[in-house]
Amino acid sequence: MSFAREPLPKATAIQLFKSLYLARRSEEYIVKHYPENLMRTPMHMSMGQEFVCVGVCSALEGKADVFASYRSHAAFLAQTHDTDRFFSELYGRTSGTGEGKGGSMHLAAPDQGHILSSGVVATQIPVAVGAAFANRQLKTGRTAVVFFGDGAADAGVFWESINAAALFKLPVIFVCEDNGYAVDTPREARQMSKSLSDVVKPFGADTYEDDSGDVESVYSLAKEAVAKAHRDRRPAFLNIKCCRYLEHVGIGTDWNWGYRDQATVEREWIDRDALKVQRKRLAEHQVSEAAIAAIEDEIDKAIQASVKRASQAPIPTPDRLHAGVFYEKA
Amino acid sequence: MSIAAVKPVQGTRVLSYAGALLETMDAALADHANTFIMGQGVDDFKGIFGSTTGLAEKYGAQRVFDVPLMEEGMTGVAIGASLVGDYPITTHIRADFSFLAMNQIINLAAKYRYMFGGLMRCPMLIRIVVGRSWGQGAQHSQSPQATFAHYPGLTVVMPSSSQAILDMYPAIINRHPGPVISIEHRLLYNLDFTVSPSEHRVPLTSYVARKGSDVTVVATSVMVLEALRAAQYVEDKAGISAEIIDLNSISHPDWDLVAASVAKTGRLVVADTSWLEYGVAAEVCRQLVVRDPGLLRQPPTMLGMAPAPCPTAKSLEDIYYPSQHETVDAILTQVKGDKHGIALPVERSMTEGYKRFRGPF
Repeated sequence: MSFAREPLPKATAIQLFKSLYLARRSEEYIVKHYPENLMRTPMHMSMGQEFVCVGVCSALEGKADVFASYRSHAAFLAQTHDTDRFFSELYGRTSGTGEGKGGSMHLAAPDQGHILSSGVVATQIPVAVGAAFANRQLKTGRTAVVFFGDGAADAGVFWESINAAALFKLPVIFVCEDNGYAVDTPREARQMSKSLSDVVKPFGADTYEDDSGDVESVYSLAKEAVAKAHRDRRPAFLNIKCCRYLEHVGIGTDWNWGYRDQATVEREWIDRDALKVQRKRLAEHQVSEAAIAAIEDEIDKAIQASVKRASQAPIPTPDRLHAGVFYEKA
Repeated sequence: MSIAAVKPVQGTRVLSYAGALLETMDAALADHANTFIMGQGVDDFKGIFGSTTGLAEKYGAQRVFDVPLMEEGMTGVAIGASLVGDYPITTHIRADFSFLAMNQIINLAAKYRYMFGGLMRCPMLIRIVVGRSWGQGAQHSQSPQATFAHYPGLTVVMPSSSQAILDMYPAIINRHPGPVISIEHRLLYNLDFTVSPSEHRVPLTSYVARKGSDVTVVATSVMVLEALRAAQYVEDKAGISAEIIDLNSISHPDWDLVAASVAKTGRLVVADTSWLEYGVAAEVCRQLVVRDPGLLRQPPTMLGMAPAPCPTAKSLEDIYYPSQHETVDAILTQVKGDKHGIALPVERSMTEGYKRFRGPF
């Protein structure tokens, strides 16, 4: 299913391309430099499935409280575009999102609407329901969005959260980044239902399926889902099929594990990579190759600058070890 | 009833533990528009043993509401609401049920401030109630203060009286910027205490509940009351002066206060509501030994639950918990040795001392 009913405006297409490119290139930097052992934090890479977070976060235009899983990079960058604090955290510097205490799995920028990402599967899901509850009570006009994988739908708290959001009539946007695997265990080996949406629906949520692999489709779907969720005071469940290009954790590929076939993945997913598709779209919008290259160059330079700032930022001093455990002056 | 050993000290009125809870819950909702209470049964006629009765009617279902049986989900909802600016109060009518929420409490709430470099504030109050007696059994009687206090980031308190609630809850709700777990005790709910206006106490730490010079008794929750009763008994029967310290804050006790008392008396009894192994009793000893192994003149005495799941048969339940009999014996033995020869109270079951306490509830 695809939700891009008509081509999006050129400005939106460019914005989506920029956001996708930023996430992809940031992770390509990580792949290249991780072996230097200066980013000492387990990386759960978004590569390949960035279009889900980029599509949804772009559709919310900043008026969102985003909650993400340990596969946090794309969600964080899609919502904040903040490569400075992103790389600082990965390098364990005081200028990072968690002053170097959180690492890749625990990125946060509540001032920019990325509330947090959580390292234990599914734990962030009920928290997003709580944010939606408070947003309604405090009349903030913000939308709570939670990203999680299909593995999180194995967990009881996912179902508790869907039920609570429907029961409390909260417009929570549940986004399942459905890459089909919990580490290397396929969904069929974990869940009996043919379709998660079919099970979620009777709980009282609107459900949406998307297997387009296309950022504009996800963007359009999210726009529609958010509007309807607020209008009808119901949660929305977006099941977005996607593909993780790399291994579950780490920067390598995992074709040698034998649980999925490289040629099939390439044919079904990598050949229609969302970033490549979006780049082609820019050409269709009459954006010249030189202009696209200039956009890419600008983002590359921004990443390089962020990395440089991160590597020059202070490392935490020993006094920070005990600071901030409780709510003493820290 | 009033416990005889608890002398009314310039009290201005009598207030039950449940009544103190209801007053502080009511005041929290009245004073802070962002505060809400949720939990199983908070809006029904029993109102968490009378601690939330009538509040749903008074403040509306948006602010005091029942929840599905989903402890982890509910706690996550509270955390999320807290992060965005609300002040949630959640309840578990038995502490045992909070174990379903451990994932959220320990993996999230306890760590958010630290893990996100101070960006996160997660102020919330989790009220959990320890059950005891009348055949509560293994899954309705546990007292997890050591478990929660073990994890850095959680503030854990155990109010032992109506005064402790009046002192602490207004200082916690909407003022303390982190997650607080208050472990309330079911046996205390129906007891009347004399209370005075809350002005002078430092709330989130320990305090001396009774001054003394011969032996130090460090106690938690309902065991503070048991210790106070025992202290009166040993004073009357043997002229012994026991100093009782209510640990009160399990995560942030006043160890200086405890050490100073033990330095004075040289003798120690620890009376806790839970198991001794890896628990509060063990921590009290660790704190003292690390400071000065010479503080104690003799080996201390430890009172807690027997190292078993809680049995329901009254004959077993009565000996599962330390009674007034054992508490008095511990104090006498510390001061006069195990051949003290002083008659012990015959009371072997706590319910005999708490006449108003009756099941079912």
